[in-house]
Amino acid sequence: MLSVGFRALFRREVLRFVRRPKNTFMPPAITNVLYFAVFGVILGGRIDEIAGYPYILFIVPGLIVLGAISNAFENASFSIFHGRWNEYIHETLTSPLSYAEMVVAYVGASAVRGLVVGVIIAAVGRLFVPIGFEHGLFLIATMVVITALFAGLGIIGGLVARDFDDLTVMNQFILRPLVFFGAVFYSLETFEQGWQVTLSLLNPMVYMVDSVRYGLLGHSDLIGVGVLPAPYADFAPLFALGILTTATAAVLAIDVYLFKIGYGLTD
Amino acid sequence: MAMPPAIETVDLVKEYGDLRALQELSLTVEEGEFFGLLGPNGAGKTTFINTLVGLVRKTGGDARVFGHDVEDDYRQARDAIGLAPQEFNVDRFFPIKEVLMHKAGYHGIPEDEAAERADEVLKRVGIYDKRNERFDWLSGGMKRRLLLARALVTDPDLLILDEPTAGVDVQLRHDLWELVTELNEEGTTILLTTHYIEEAERLCDRVAIMNEGRKVTVATPDELKQRGTDTIAVRLESEPSTAPDLGAYAHETTVSGDRLEVRVDDGGATAPRLLNDLEARGFEIADLEITRTSLEEIFVDLTRSEDRTVTRSSAESADGESAAEGREPEREQEGVA
Repeated sequence: MLSVGFRALFRREVLRFVRRPKNTFMPPAITNVLYFAVFGVILGGRIDEIAGYPYILFIVPGLIVLGAISNAFENASFSIFHGRWNEYIHETLTSPLSYAEMVVAYVGASAVRGLVVGVIIAAVGRLFVPIGFEHGLFLIATMVVITALFAGLGIIGGLVARDFDDLTVMNQFILRPLVFFGAVFYSLETFEQGWQVTLSLLNPMVYMVDSVRYGLLGHSDLIGVGVLPAPYADFAPLFALGILTTATAAVLAIDVYLFKIGYGLTD
Repeated sequence: MAMPPAIETVDLVKEYGDLRALQELSLTVEEGEFFGLLGPNGAGKTTFINTLVGLVRKTGGDARVFGHDVEDDYRQARDAIGLAPQEFNVDRFFPIKEVLMHKAGYHGIPEDEAAERADEVLKRVGIYDKRNERFDWLSGGMKRRLLLARALVTDPDLLILDEPTAGVDVQLRHDLWELVTELNEEGTTILLTTHYIEEAERLCDRVAIMNEGRKVTVATPDELKQRGTDTIAVRLESEPSTAPDLGAYAHETTVSGDRLEVRVDDGGATAPRLLNDLEARGFEIADLEITRTSLEEIFVDLTRSEDRTVTRSSAESADGESAAEGREPEREQEGVA
């Protein structure tokens, strides 16, 4: 899989965002300083502990997820769409790379950007509050899976988009609402009505935020609300990771299929 | 075992909805050949090329590059091809040397070697000193050169040039011609599309003329010229009232003032007979000139669309005057016997 051609495309994709930190890494760093300052310090001081954690600490995982997945999505969708727009994606398409290699290189690089942004946000958060690292391996696995998932979705976005506005629409009107109702800023346990929890569980973002929170803080709403029946309740985070991994595999398979049929790429 | 042809297509079809961009196109380009693809805009030349490199999905038929099916063995087929397209589809994020290195990398060339090759091809096309610039900062001519460099950096067995000299200055055109001739002599098979007839005549071993997605003919430039007719222009001492009725050898006889033009197959062999016939009909000859049809005229003839048939109007119409306003005074309309 790691052919010279694959590595060349992966490297190109990584260099593209690494060399433009003002466009790629500075914005999430600044935004998150604001989030932590306003929601965490200024407002958070007036909010009670949630699930036994100070509010500022409780929102760290959600902000990491928000930054990581939106950057992974944006990177993949932009790279594909910009390449289509200026037609230089032909450089890749006319090459002897397999379609799977192309997809994995684009997705992999975009996931890397998401992961780097995740680390940046964690570092910013660390300036405000000490952050734990309760289930390290689980955390890393989750982050890799969800950034890959959104990079894979970004590929689809980049292939489907007809102009740059379409990319904005996807980010603002689909991604953002899902994230805000994805238990970033509140705990599912704060809901008093069962239907509110049920509805939330239909939002894929809930599983991501919860998994990262479990990885960092050791707390999982999914265990709390009892997603799985009693004897297995504690396996909820693994269950979530399983769902996310399956979703990622499915999205990547769709990406490869779209490349194979040339959707949005060939005439 | 015989080498498979560089390009072989059988009944290749590409449809865009109702539009048939390629219509049962069967074409073979042998290894080592310098092959020209001629045709007016919209003839399907670029569609044909893009089918080979994977930028267009064929609707039907077969296409192979060095024996590799362009869909089933797309990786081998694409690896053999270097394409210099018409549009400037170049990565704008990186300096041009890196763009070339990336392209070489996609073709499996390791980084160190890719860097060497990039330098080499940049020198070869004469823009080495611009290697650290980005594409957008290059002049139009340099952009053209870069497209060629990008096609060469993977050391392709088949080099495809899509209108490489469209809109370039004379110097660059000659540089390009020299370079591609050299490459062809080194063994690279070359497919060139152009609508400059001179270019095809000068460079190509064989040319295919395409029109409306179809192959009209395949021939050497010399053979094509043989197919054209010659024109014998005769100046007469006095203006004839009507065009003389000559034998079947005269495909077309045109009168304009004291000038008589006769289209024949072979000007040199026919001229004596024509002179005899004219004198027998009482015409006095002042001057005579024979011109061969240019390849360009043959090309125009072959790619004329079916609905624009030759007007065979009579000489008496007042077309002489009205032709001046608005439309080209086409020879066919000046009065045909």
